[in-house]
This record gives sequence, C-alpha cells and structure tokens, in this order.
Amino acid sequence: MKYDVVIVGSGASGGAVAYTLTQAGYKVAVLEKGRLLKREEFSKDELAYCRRDIVTPNLFDEYHTIEEKVDGKWETTPTYDSGWSFWNGNVVGGSSNFMSGMLHRMHPDDFRLKSKYGEIKGANVVDWPIGYDEMEPYYVKAEELVGISGKYKKHPFEPPRSTADFTQPPTNENAVVKLLDKSCKALDITPLVTPRAVLSRNKEHRNACFYSNFCGSYGCESGAKGSSREALLIPALATGNLTLMSNSYVKSLHTSKKEAVDYAVVVDTVTGKERHIYAKLFVVAAQAHESARLLLNSGNRLHPDGLGNSSGELGKNLIFSAGGSGQGELHEESLKEISFKELMQTGLFVNRSILDWYFIDHWWDGTFKGGSVEFMFEHQNIISRARKNNEESGKLVWGSALGEKLTDRFKKQKSIRFEIFNDWLPNDNCFVALDPIHKDKYGMPVGKLRVEAHPQDLKVGKYIAKKCEKVLEEMGAKNIYSGVSSSPPQNLVAGGCRFGDDPKHSVLNKYCQSHDVPNLFVADASFMPTGGSVPYTWTIYANAFRVADHIVATLKKVL
Amino acid sequence: MKRRKFLVLGSLLGLSPYIEAKETSSFEKSFKKVKETIAAVQDHMFPKNTKLPSATEMHAIAFLFETVKHKSYDKDIRAFVLEGAEELITREKGKFVLMDSAEKEKALRAYEETSYGRNWLSRIMTLTMEGLFSDPVYGANINESGWKALNAYGGKPRAKKRYVIDEV
Repeated sequence: MKYDVVIVGSGASGGAVAYTLTQAGYKVAVLEKGRLLKREEFSKDELAYCRRDIVTPNLFDEYHTIEEKVDGKWETTPTYDSGWSFWNGNVVGGSSNFMSGMLHRMHPDDFRLKSKYGEIKGANVVDWPIGYDEMEPYYVKAEELVGISGKYKKHPFEPPRSTADFTQPPTNENAVVKLLDKSCKALDITPLVTPRAVLSRNKEHRNACFYSNFCGSYGCESGAKGSSREALLIPALATGNLTLMSNSYVKSLHTSKKEAVDYAVVVDTVTGKERHIYAKLFVVAAQAHESARLLLNSGNRLHPDGLGNSSGELGKNLIFSAGGSGQGELHEESLKEISFKELMQTGLFVNRSILDWYFIDHWWDGTFKGGSVEFMFEHQNIISRARKNNEESGKLVWGSALGEKLTDRFKKQKSIRFEIFNDWLPNDNCFVALDPIHKDKYGMPVGKLRVEAHPQDLKVGKYIAKKCEKVLEEMGAKNIYSGVSSSPPQNLVAGGCRFGDDPKHSVLNKYCQSHDVPNLFVADASFMPTGGSVPYTWTIYANAFRVADHIVATLKKVL
Repeated sequence: MKRRKFLVLGSLLGLSPYIEAKETSSFEKSFKKVKETIAAVQDHMFPKNTKLPSATEMHAIAFLFETVKHKSYDKDIRAFVLEGAEELITREKGKFVLMDSAEKEKALRAYEETSYGRNWLSRIMTLTMEGLFSDPVYGANINESGWKALNAYGGKPRAKKRYVIDEV
C-alpha cells in the first residue's frame, strides 16, 4: 500500500498534521517508535513515570553523545554514561503527554529579532521568513482544538489576538495567587493568568481537569491535558483515514531519485523485522534533534551530506530554552494574606506568569531581549521531595532526625517556585551531527549534540532571576534561592532544520518544506531559527497546523 | 565524570566480580550474600519509633531486591548496590550486622567520609525512600503508611500494575 502521507512521530506537530490531513480525506500513516498507552495506564506512579525509563528508551539501547567544553576542550560523553537522557516521552502522543502545559504565543518581535535588536556577536540570529500575522490564525486554531484555557488581559508584551478571549476559562487556582498578585502589585509588576493546555470544562471526548496534584511529567487520565494523543490523534483515528503504527522505528528515508523520498525504512521494535512504507509525501516530526538525525542518517549518493542538506545547515543552530528557576518556602507561622489550610490545598494551579521583562528598555539596565516567567508550586512528587531533604551540612540525615526533618518539610511549609524562559541564542557551538563511532541497537549512528550556550543567555536569566527573588521576598518566603545555568533543558529543544527563503542558508522553505526534496516536510520545532522567550509548544502546534494547510494545498495539486 | 568511574572511585575492591551481577539472572545469587548487611543499613536509617515507618515493618529489603533486580533498573547501579555492601562488610571485617546501634552509627559515618561510601549510603537511602513513598502496589508503603506519615498522597488514578505494564 502507498499512503498519501507518512508522518514520522506522533507528538504535537505530528498530531496536528495528521489531524488536518485526515480531516481533509487523505490516507495517512503515523509511525511512532514508542508504544500506545491506554488512558487508564496514565497513573500517577512516581516510581515508574518519573524515576525509571518507562516512557523513554533504555539508555544502553538508544542514547545520544553530548559534547561539552571541559577545561577549554570539547569532551564527549555518551548519555548511558552520564545518565543525562535526551529522550522525551517516546510513546504515542510524544512528550505532549507529559508537559505541564504552561503555554504562551511568541511575540510579534520574536519573528524579527535581528531587525529589532541587530547583530549579537557570536550568535546566529536571523529574522523568520514569516511574520506573526501569518501565524496568528493558527495560534487560534491550536488554542481551540488543543484546548488552551486562560483569561486574556491586555499587556504591552502580550501578543495581539484576533479573538476576544479563550474559549475555556482558567483552571481553578490555589489561594496563593491572592498573595502572589498582591506582592506583584506592591512591586509594580503585572501578573497575568497563564494560558494552560489543560481543560477547565469538558470538551467532546475529553473530561475537564480533576486536579490530581500531579500534572507535569505525568500523562492525563481524564484527557484534560491538550496532548497530541487526546486532542488530535483520537479525532484523526475517528475519520478512518489514519493508520497509527506504534513500536515503529524509522531508520531512514529512502530516495531513489534526488527530488523525492519514496519510502521509509521501518523496524518493528518488538519483532525486529524491517519493512518499507511508501507514501507520496513524508513529514518528519520526531523532535528537533532526532529529526535532524534522521535526515542525516538518510544520506546516500544523491544526498551525500544528508537528506535535504545542500545548504550544509542541517543539524546546525540547535536551540534550547535558556533560563533557570528558583524557589522559596512559605511557612505556616509567617504566612500572610491566606490561611495555611488554603495554601496546603492540593491539586489547584498557581496559573501566574510575568511578561513585564520580555523586552528590557531601561535607562540603567540597557535595551535587550528579556524573557517570561512562570510561577508554580514545587513539583509535588513525594519521593523526590523527600530525597531533596535528606541531608544537612553535607551529611546524610537518618533515624529520628530524618523523621523530624521530613514531617516538618511536608507538613509545615510549601515551596513556591518560578521558572524563567529566555532566548537560547543560536550559535556555532550548538548543533546535532552524527556520532562517528556510536550506534544505537538498530545499528544507526546516534545523534551527537554539542550544547554550548551564548553568554548573553546567562546574563538575561540572572537579570530576571533577581527580580523574581524580590517577588518571593515580598510574599514572605524564606530560604529563597535561584539557579541560572548554561546547561540545556533537554525537553525544550528546537532548531537544526532552519526555515528561510534562501536555499543556500536554510534547510526548509517558509512552509517547512525541504528546499531540495519537494515531497519532504519537517513539521516539528526544527524549523525555528530563534525560539522566543516562552515554552515552544503552542508555536509548535500552531506552525504544524499552518504547515498542514500548505500540505493539503500541495496534495490537491498533485493528486 | 563517567558513570562507571564515578561509582567505583575510592572502592577498596575496585572493579569487583559483581560486574557479572549487572545481569538480572545472576543478581539474585549475589544479593543473598549481602542481603543481611543492606537490611541492617536500612534498619539503621529508618528504625522503629520515629515519625516515619520503619524499614523492617515496611519490608524495605524485599522492595529493594525486587526493584534493583527489575529490568528497568540501571545495570551499573545494580552492581554498585552489591559492591558497596561488600565493601562495608570488608571494612568492618564482617561484623557490621552484629554491631549495636552506636557502633553501626560510627561505622556508617566513617563509611560516609569516603566519597564511595557516601554515594552508596545515599543510594540505599534513595532505594528505601522509593519503597516507603512509592505507590503501595510496589509493596513497601503498606497501608499508605509512608504517605500518611508525611500527609502527602500519590495522585489518582493509582498504579494498578508495577511499572505500568508488569503483573502485580
């Protein structure tokens, strides 16, 4: 059988393309390396989901090699050696199953960062080939289809909307927002309600959030979380046009003619059997670093440097989300504004963001691109919280002292936390290539990631962290600390297949179609030349819907 | 630092014969030799009559065995759990399990002074906490005693099977 379209990967972007194409009547196959989990299997099992490789490959079977500068020299470490996994949710629906769902649109100026701020030495910043106006209708589509709840409030750095407000009101909030809002007001800061990919009301086959207290890092049993699995793949399957193949690892895409992919080389991860799956058009959506790896592994005599890599840009300018985090403790005896009982109520969201520092233009601090901030409670995982509190003065605490320490930590205080998101500036020392030595268990070269950050990223993160610490101080928190690091968050990855108008300097055109191979698209975050200062997911969904509309138009011409 | 180097650094035994115990098939046999010692360490860290349930009451050693043997567990750390116990036995000339509480405290604090010993003790504590505070389906949070002690409960839905797919 020859499908109209084969999609490699079932996460946010793969789901959005599959949804659009199957609704339009095309026969689509989605190839997913991981397995299909039933809704009821998304339990809140901390041991399985957060402490073992249940939804990601065993690192001794499949891994990456990570290149970091140590004492001025590049040093490569396989992730099976470091334990630092760069896999994110390899099951049907991908990592969208496990996101926290705190989402923002990118700002219009994020699409023209170079024009707005000019060159930054050591950074490869370019403007996008499209503007915010072209993306805006798709932000709306994602908001409505995926189910993003929230409440719009006008703010100088809040991107403009073509619709008045969110179709779903915000999820229920913990009373701590009263204290947080008041503290922000005292500091002349404007807190905003965080748009969240979690339903506050039932929507079609999905139930509203039931506030389990364990959201990020876990799958959703009610279907409230706006995962690709729930929001897109289930409706796509209902059309009868989608063939969903789990446990299907794509080794490479084969070209027998230079201008077209004709089949995917696929291994059944259970039986080990290899087969070819044919289609008229191929969409790669395997998450940025893996999409670039697949194209590099698909090189042949027609494409000696990797599929669609005549520019030599494939794998380059990989980006992550820069920033950091911090937290402070709210103690029973010094709590203001709200009761301790209210604070300790479990399950409810904090739902507050700050965009005040998205762009900095200050007489003393200068003019530069800043970032966004999300507030939340410390993750409620019990084992990890206990582990974090088992030492004092560099020694392990055990026996009665451990009992005292843990019960005090869990029963008499609660930690409030902030996370900062700012641009990871693309640079020559952040890219993915093929490792010349290491191969995965299927015999394919693994991705080798060099992951250096630009010094500006740290400067911005630290600038914002100081301001966030002031908010926690105003709230009356104790033991406040923050950490801003140049270490990349492996779950927030983009770039590697830049889009652009010039085939000599970009891998994809403005529709995320390969400049070299017209029946090849890359729909995930790989296309992003810069990432904005917000989590990528809303933009990934929106862009994949935009790309899918273009694919439909393309298929109408050729079929 | 590379994981293997990190785990063995400072060990008296160096790269020990337990490398073969990375495989689950030979783990059970090797574990029997150190089971009593690991259980004694767990018992010292989580004794009776504190604000937390005790390791003994919660069958923490059985949990540790099942957990470390499981295919989802890191094979390097599987060997390290055995090696570290053997090292403690060697350091204390086989008398650790016979010591009274004060002697055990002294022996473990001395072991903690070495980076290797500290890593191993931290690993045993983590493995015990994983038992006491994980879903009761894993067998060591009996009647949710660990969760009750902290007034912190796992979310719903609860696990029906260990590791999502295993039979209970």
